[in-house]
Amino acid sequence: MDRDLFSHIDTDLNSISYLSLNYDHFDSALSSIVSSPSAAPTPPGPNDSLVLRELIGRLGTICNNKSASVGAVDHSANTSCYSTPLSSPPKSSLHPLPNMNPNPNPMPFAPDPGFADRAARMPCFGGGPHMAMSGQLSRVSSSQSLMDAGMTGGVQLEGELPVRENGSGGRGANNGRKRKAGVKGKGKEASLASSGTVNSKISEEDQSAKRCRPDCKAGEKKGGTEEKNGNCSENNNGDRENKNDSDSNNANAKPVEPPKDYIHVRARRGQATDSHSLAERVRREKISERMKLLQDLVPGCNKVTGKAVMLDEIINYVQSLQRQVEFLSMKLATVNTPSDVNMDNLLQKDMPQACSGSMQQPLYRSAFSYPNQPQVAPLNSLLATNSIPNLGMQPSSNLPFDGFGNANPQIGGFWEDDLQSVVQMGFGQNQEAALSSQSFQGSGPSSSDMKIEL
Amino acid sequence: MQALHFLQALARIARAAPKPAHSARTRQIRHAAYASMAHSSRSSRRTWSRALLHRLRQRQRPGRLLTVRRRVRIVTPITSRPEEPARAETLRQLVPGGRGMEYCNLLEETADYVQCLRAQVQLMQTLLDAFSS
Repeated sequence: MDRDLFSHIDTDLNSISYLSLNYDHFDSALSSIVSSPSAAPTPPGPNDSLVLRELIGRLGTICNNKSASVGAVDHSANTSCYSTPLSSPPKSSLHPLPNMNPNPNPMPFAPDPGFADRAARMPCFGGGPHMAMSGQLSRVSSSQSLMDAGMTGGVQLEGELPVRENGSGGRGANNGRKRKAGVKGKGKEASLASSGTVNSKISEEDQSAKRCRPDCKAGEKKGGTEEKNGNCSENNNGDRENKNDSDSNNANAKPVEPPKDYIHVRARRGQATDSHSLAERVRREKISERMKLLQDLVPGCNKVTGKAVMLDEIINYVQSLQRQVEFLSMKLATVNTPSDVNMDNLLQKDMPQACSGSMQQPLYRSAFSYPNQPQVAPLNSLLATNSIPNLGMQPSSNLPFDGFGNANPQIGGFWEDDLQSVVQMGFGQNQEAALSSQSFQGSGPSSSDMKIEL
Repeated sequence: MQALHFLQALARIARAAPKPAHSARTRQIRHAAYASMAHSSRSSRRTWSRALLHRLRQRQRPGRLLTVRRRVRIVTPITSRPEEPARAETLRQLVPGGRGMEYCNLLEETADYVQCLRAQVQLMQTLLDAFSS
């Protein structure tokens, strides 16, 4: 049901997702979250309620999933739904918040103290800083702002709770470790921080530093606890460098992202207490990103989940590849002995052969009359067809052209004019002319030797 | 680039006096394979490629008592990297130059190394098929 709501947004997201993660849920959810705030910011009217309801419903569905990206989705969804009115028009919407701080409206938040407690304890809930803040006032004020914006946020949020609990139960295993560590600390604040950290860890969004800055801004405006303010100032200092990097990344990927990132910053508020955890989170995200890359490279790794097992698979694969190289080199050593003369010929013939298969064949046959031609020809065809596509490297296919062209003045009358045209074609495609020329110079003398032989 | 380099090296090995020692040729071919991998255009900027070339040169000259080149890099000792999984050490041993790297860089290098290894294996397999047909 929620998927229908967001199906149209998914396409939008795919165009703007700046992180090359392959989390299905994450992408779709994030897209919905990202695009919904973009739609919502300016008219905080009827759109917001719909957006919020959608987001909450989305969170509910996502919470029930057990993937690692759930936390991120919850996190970002939670963040965005609260950030929308607050950060997108950062100044205007935040102003009413401090006013509301002293007298929170208890109506939709009658169980607010209990709510906040539960939020603090639940890791997935804790990801939303405005909800899991040590200061319940800020939580209330955020919801107040939402309510004032015309959304029935309170009702929706309360409806969110049971869903959250379901989700938190599913992810308790992941978060339990850090949650316990946090609880042993300073009580609620520690739990908030730790749960926030966990959420940050789980949420695979980069630019977390970026998000933290607007978060801090929002937090300060909300009049959160001193801890929050202190953290925000720290975060601001620590975030700036990260923000620049992520901004540059963003600029390269999606110019639209920076405003959206500000929306997500609020998710990080509750967890990032200092620049260390921020850097740690960024590092963890980098590591997970690279693990995804490796997962795509290593065959048969798609079903495996978890870093430990995947690492074992990667190690096995690298070992098997190295063993294969040894084995193949041994076999090549045995096979290569009778074909000493062919290698030079093959090299000379191989390059043009690689560029255009059939055109060169008659030319070669006429130019070169080798006794072991039958052995060479299949190799040429093989190399032409196999090696280039197998290696999948454009430069390697272009190099023969360049080398060929460079050897031309030396070989001179060896090659027909047809070859010249082929070489011109190769030059046009080539990007590594210098490199290939250098590499091919070595075989220049050998080509002259061939000329003499013939 | 990789294929070209390897073929040239093979030609060189074949042209050289064909030693009857099978193991010597095997070693030479293996050396050529790794050298061509390291010289590949895609990997010339990588840490593992430099480390691999260094290792190959070291093996060629066994009499060097003093290694002049030292990689000056301040990296936390291997024992004090608790956040890494247990198998990270094995991966470091496998990937050339993996000892001095941090974990996330190690993963990136591994990805590139795997790509080059796969290409090299495919190339050698193709050559083998061509020679044996």
